[in-house]
Amino acid sequence: MTASLLEIERINSFYGDSHILFDVSLHVGRNEVVALLGRNGAGKTTTLRTIMGVLAPRSGSIRLDGEPIAGRPPFEIARRGLQLVPEERAIFGQLTVEENLRLAALTAPSAWTLDRIYEFFPRLRERRRSGGRQLSGGEQQMLAIARALIRDARVILLDEPFEGLAPLIVRDLVRVSRELAEQGRTILVVEQNVTAALSFADRVYILNNGHIVWEGTPEALRSDPALMKAHLGI
Amino acid sequence: MPSAPLLLSQAFNGLALGTLLALVSSGLTIILGTLGVLNFAHGALFMLGAYAMYVVATATGSYVLAVVVGVALERGLVRLFYARPHEDQILVTFGAGIVFTEIARAIFGGNALTVPTPSWGQGIVHLGFLFYPTYRLQLIGIIAALLIALYLVLYRTSIGLVVRAGIEDARMVGILGINVRRAFLAVFVIGVVTAGVSGMLYAPIISVEPDMGSNFLVQAFVVIVIGGLGSFPGAVVGGIVAGEIIALTSAFNAAYSDVMLYAVMALLLVLRPQGLFGSEGRV
Amino acid sequence: MTRRLGPELAMALVLIAAPFVLPHLGFSFDLLQRILDWGIIGLGFDLLFGATGLLSFGQAAFYGTGGFVSAYLLTAHIVGSVWLALAIGTVAAGVFGLLVGWLAVRRIGIYFTMITLAFGQMAFFLENSPLAGLTGGENGLPGVPVPSLAGHKLTAGEPLYWALAIIFLAGFVLARRILHSPFGTVLRAIKQNTARAGMTGQSVPAYKLAVFVIAALYAGLAGGLLGVLQSYMPPDAFMLDTSGQLVVQTVIGGVGTLIGPLVGATIWLWLRDNLQLIPHLGALWKLVLGLIFIALVVVLKRGIAGEVAFLVSRRRAHAAGEGVPEEGGEAAVMPVKAPALALHAPFAVTGPDVPALRAISLSKFYGGLHAVEGVSFDVRRGSIHAVIGPNGAGKSTLFKMLKDEIPPTAGQVELFGSRITGLGPTRTAQLGVGKSNQLNQLFLDMTAEENVRIAALARARGTFRTDLWRRANSLPEVELQVRAAIETVGLTHRAQVPAHVLPYGEKRRLEIGIALATGPNVLLLDEPLAGMSPAERVATRALVREIARTRTLVIVEHDMDAIFELAERITVLYEGRLLAEGTPEEIQRNQAVQDAYLGGMHEEGMQGEGVHA
Repeated sequence: MTASLLEIERINSFYGDSHILFDVSLHVGRNEVVALLGRNGAGKTTTLRTIMGVLAPRSGSIRLDGEPIAGRPPFEIARRGLQLVPEERAIFGQLTVEENLRLAALTAPSAWTLDRIYEFFPRLRERRRSGGRQLSGGEQQMLAIARALIRDARVILLDEPFEGLAPLIVRDLVRVSRELAEQGRTILVVEQNVTAALSFADRVYILNNGHIVWEGTPEALRSDPALMKAHLGI
Repeated sequence: MPSAPLLLSQAFNGLALGTLLALVSSGLTIILGTLGVLNFAHGALFMLGAYAMYVVATATGSYVLAVVVGVALERGLVRLFYARPHEDQILVTFGAGIVFTEIARAIFGGNALTVPTPSWGQGIVHLGFLFYPTYRLQLIGIIAALLIALYLVLYRTSIGLVVRAGIEDARMVGILGINVRRAFLAVFVIGVVTAGVSGMLYAPIISVEPDMGSNFLVQAFVVIVIGGLGSFPGAVVGGIVAGEIIALTSAFNAAYSDVMLYAVMALLLVLRPQGLFGSEGRV
Repeated sequence: MTRRLGPELAMALVLIAAPFVLPHLGFSFDLLQRILDWGIIGLGFDLLFGATGLLSFGQAAFYGTGGFVSAYLLTAHIVGSVWLALAIGTVAAGVFGLLVGWLAVRRIGIYFTMITLAFGQMAFFLENSPLAGLTGGENGLPGVPVPSLAGHKLTAGEPLYWALAIIFLAGFVLARRILHSPFGTVLRAIKQNTARAGMTGQSVPAYKLAVFVIAALYAGLAGGLLGVLQSYMPPDAFMLDTSGQLVVQTVIGGVGTLIGPLVGATIWLWLRDNLQLIPHLGALWKLVLGLIFIALVVVLKRGIAGEVAFLVSRRRAHAAGEGVPEEGGEAAVMPVKAPALALHAPFAVTGPDVPALRAISLSKFYGGLHAVEGVSFDVRRGSIHAVIGPNGAGKSTLFKMLKDEIPPTAGQVELFGSRITGLGPTRTAQLGVGKSNQLNQLFLDMTAEENVRIAALARARGTFRTDLWRRANSLPEVELQVRAAIETVGLTHRAQVPAHVLPYGEKRRLEIGIALATGPNVLLLDEPLAGMSPAERVATRALVREIARTRTLVIVEHDMDAIFELAERITVLYEGRLLAEGTPEEIQRNQAVQDAYLGGMHEEGMQGEGVHA
C-alpha cells in the first residue's frame, strides 16, 4: 500500500488568536478527486490555504508524496507541484490572459504549451489579448484553472470554483472538472455547491466548525438527507 | 515677455532636466509601486552615484558599486520592513539616507567638488536655433536610451512580468511558484541603480556635495505625485513636465521656478488627486 | 487628583531642576533653550504624528513661517512688543497650516507625507528668492530683540531659559489636555482605525485638518522663539533638514509620548555638541546618530520615553492583576434586558407607512462583475429584516451600499423617506444608520470603554467639535450611553481592557457595541454570529432580539436557524439579484431558494450525462 500523494495529519491553524482548524486530518490519493464540504466558516478555505503554505499551521504535518511541506513558503510548495486556485481567483487584471499564463508557467518544471491550454479552453484563446480585468467571472475562473494546468500541477486545490457564476457557466466548468478527473488529475475541491462538487468527486470529507466530522463516498452522502441537513444546512 | 529664442532654449533645458528627473523618479516609483516602500534614501543614492563618478574614472566600476549598495540596503534593512507600516519604512530609509550622506561627508569632506566633463562630451553644438553644450545634448540621448531600456525590462521580459504582477498581488505571484522576495530584491536594485546612474550622469553638470540629493529627492516626489504613484509612464511624463515647468518659469522669473513646480502639484492634487497616470484608490 | 496631574508636576520639577543639574553634564544655557524650542514644535508634531498617525515631513514650513513673520515684524519695527510679534507669527503659521492641511489631509499614508514635504520645500524656495526682500533670503534676519517682562529684558541665558521653560510647560499642559479631551480621543481613534472612526459619524477630514493646524501653531510659536533666542532668524529653519531632524528626534525620544521630541532633542543636540569635541570623531557625530536612529527604528520601536512609559504601564497593569482574560462562561454575563441608551439619532417625522429603510433598484458593478443588480426591498419600521444568500451573492456589497460606504452604480437608498445615497458613511451614521461589520473593525489599542465612547461621542457632539479642554469622560449623557452599550453586549467587566487583548468572541460583541453606541434608528448587522462559540450564539441571538425592541434591524447571517427564528421578513439574494422575499415560512417553502442553495440547477441536469448532449 503506497502512501497517498497528499497527506495531512492533525493540523491546527489560527488566524491571529482565533483557532480555525482543530486536528484536521485528510488524505488525497493519486488520481483521486476529493471534495471538502461544509458550511460557511467551517474552515474549508483555511484548510486549502494551510496546505498551500499561505498560512502556516501551528502544529501537524503535511506531506506531498512523502515529503514534509508544512511551514515552507508558498512558492516552494508550488514548485513541488501543488497548486491552489484561490476562491477570489486572483487574476492579474493589469496583465493579459496570455501574460497571466506565461507568468504561471515561469517556474513550472514541465509546462503545458499555450496551445494545449487553448485547446482545453477555446474561450481563452479568443480572449488571449484581453486584460484580466475585462474578463467575465466565468472566464476568470477558466483562466485561474488554466494557470494551474499550465504548471502541470500534481495536485490542484480548487477553492469554490463555481462561486458566483451563472448556472450555464457552472455547467461548463463542471464538465471541465469531470474531464480533468477522467484524465487522472489529482484534485482537492472545496465547494458550497454540493451537487456540482459531488458530480465529479470520488470521495468526500465534511468539515464542521474546524473539525472533520464525516468521510465517505458521494453516494453515501446523497442517500443520507439527515447528514446533509445536519452539516451542510440543506 | 521673454524672446522666442530664449523660450526655445529654456524649453530645451527643461527637456534635459526633465529626462533626468524622469530617470530618477522612475526608480523611485518602481520601488514604491512594487514594494510599497517610499524610499527616502533615493536622493542619497543619487548623491553616491555622483561621488562614484568623481572617484572612478570608468563608469563600469561604479555600476558595481550601485548594485552592491542596493543589495546591501534591501537585504540588510528594507526587507525587514515590508510588513511594517509605511511610516516605519519611510523612517528607516530616511535614516539610511542620513548615514549615506554622512559617510560621503566623512570621506570627501563637506566642500563641493567638480567632476570634469568626459572627453567625448566636450564642446558646444550649434543646433540652428541655439548653441548647446555637447554633453547636455548627449545626456538627453543617453537618458532616453536608458528609459527605453527600463521600459523593455519592465514590459518585455519575464522579470518585468513578475514585477507587474507583484504590484497587483504579491501573494498570488508566490502561489504561482515564484520567489517574490527575490523579485523584490531585483526591483529594489533596479531602482537603486537608476538613482546611482542618474547621479553619475549628472555629476559633470552640477557641483557634487553630500547634501545634493535631498533636492532631487523632493523633486522626484513631486514628479511621482504628478505622474501617479507607482506608474512608470507617469514618472517619465511627470519628469518631463516638471523639468519644463522649472525651466520655462525661469525664463520669466527665475525666483519662482521651484515655487511654480509645487504650485502645479497643489493644483493637480485638487483637480486630479490620483495623478496623471495613477488609478483611483491606490496607496 | 495628584495622580492625574502627575506628569505635569513631574515636568515642572524637571524644568526647574535642569538648569542646576544639566550644566555640569555639558549642557550650556544656549543648548537648553534650543532643546526646549525643539520640544515645543515637538508637542504639536507628536499630536499630529504620535496621536493621529499623520507623518508630516513639512513642519519646517510652519516653523519658518512663524519665525520669519515674527522676526520681520520686529526687525522692521512694525510691532514693538516681542510677545505680540510671537503671537502674530504663530497665527500666521496656523493660517498657512490651514492652507497646506486642506490639501494634504485629502490623502493618506505615503501621499500625505510627500505632500507635506513638498510644501515644506515650496516654503523654503519662497523664502529664499521671491520673498528675499522681506526675509533676507539666504542671509536671514539679524537683530531680533529679546522680550521683556514687567520692564525687565529677558536676556539670553538664564532669564530666557525660564521664559522658554514656562512656555513649554504651558504647551505641555495644553497638549495633554487635548490628548485626553473628546477631541483627542477621536484623534487616537483615527490613528487606530480611520475607516471605523468615520463610520461612527466622526468627520475624519475635519479632525485631521484641526490637528494639522494645531501642530502648525506649535511650530510657528517655536519658530518665533528661535529668532528671539538666537537674536537672529536663520533661513535654515525652512530647510528639509529641520523637518527631518524633528522626525528623527521624535522617533528617538518616543512617538506618542508628547515628551518624546524633547527627550530626542536632548540626546541629539547634546551628542552633537559633545561628540564634536572628541578628536577624530568630530565630523562623524551625525553618522553615529544616523546609525543610532536606524537601530531604534529597527529594534526599539517605542523610542526612549516610549519604552519607559511601556514598562511603567506594564508594571502597573501587573500590579492591578490584569492579565489576559480567560474565555468561557462569559456568555452568562450578558443581561437578559438591555439598559436603554441615553442618546438616539433624531427621528425623522414621517407617516407611519414610510419604511425605515428602502433600497430602490440598487446595483453595483465592478468592471464586468455585477456584484449587485437591481435589488429593491423595504424594511418595515421596528422589524428584524434578514438578507441571506449563498456565498458571493452580493450581501456584503449590498450592506455597504445601505450605509453608503460604497457608492452604488445605480439606484438609491432612502432612510425614513429621505435619500441618503451620496452622503457617505459619516453622514449616514449621524442620520441614524449604525453598522457592525463582517470583519471586526475595532480601535485595538484603546480600551473596550474607549471604543464605545468614540461612537457615543459622535452621537453627542456631531461630526466635529473642538472641545480641547474638557476631559473625554466628562459628558454625563455620553458616559450613560457608554455604560448602557457596554452592558448590553456584556462587556462591563472588560471595560478597562484594551480591545486587542479580548478573546475573539468578546471582540465580536464589542464590534456590535460600537454600532449600538451610535444610537442608531436602523442597525445593520453583518454576520454578527460569525466566529462565535455555540453558547455565545445563543446569548447573541437574545441580544439581537433585545436590541430590536427599540429599533429597526437589518441582518446578514449564514446561521439559518438563527435567521428563521429572528427575522420577520427575509430577502434572498442570488448572484447579485433578488431571488425571493417573504416571511421565514414562505422562504423555507420556496423552491427557487432551495435550488439556489443546492447550486442553482436541478438535480437531473447535474447527475445525468445530459450535460454533454
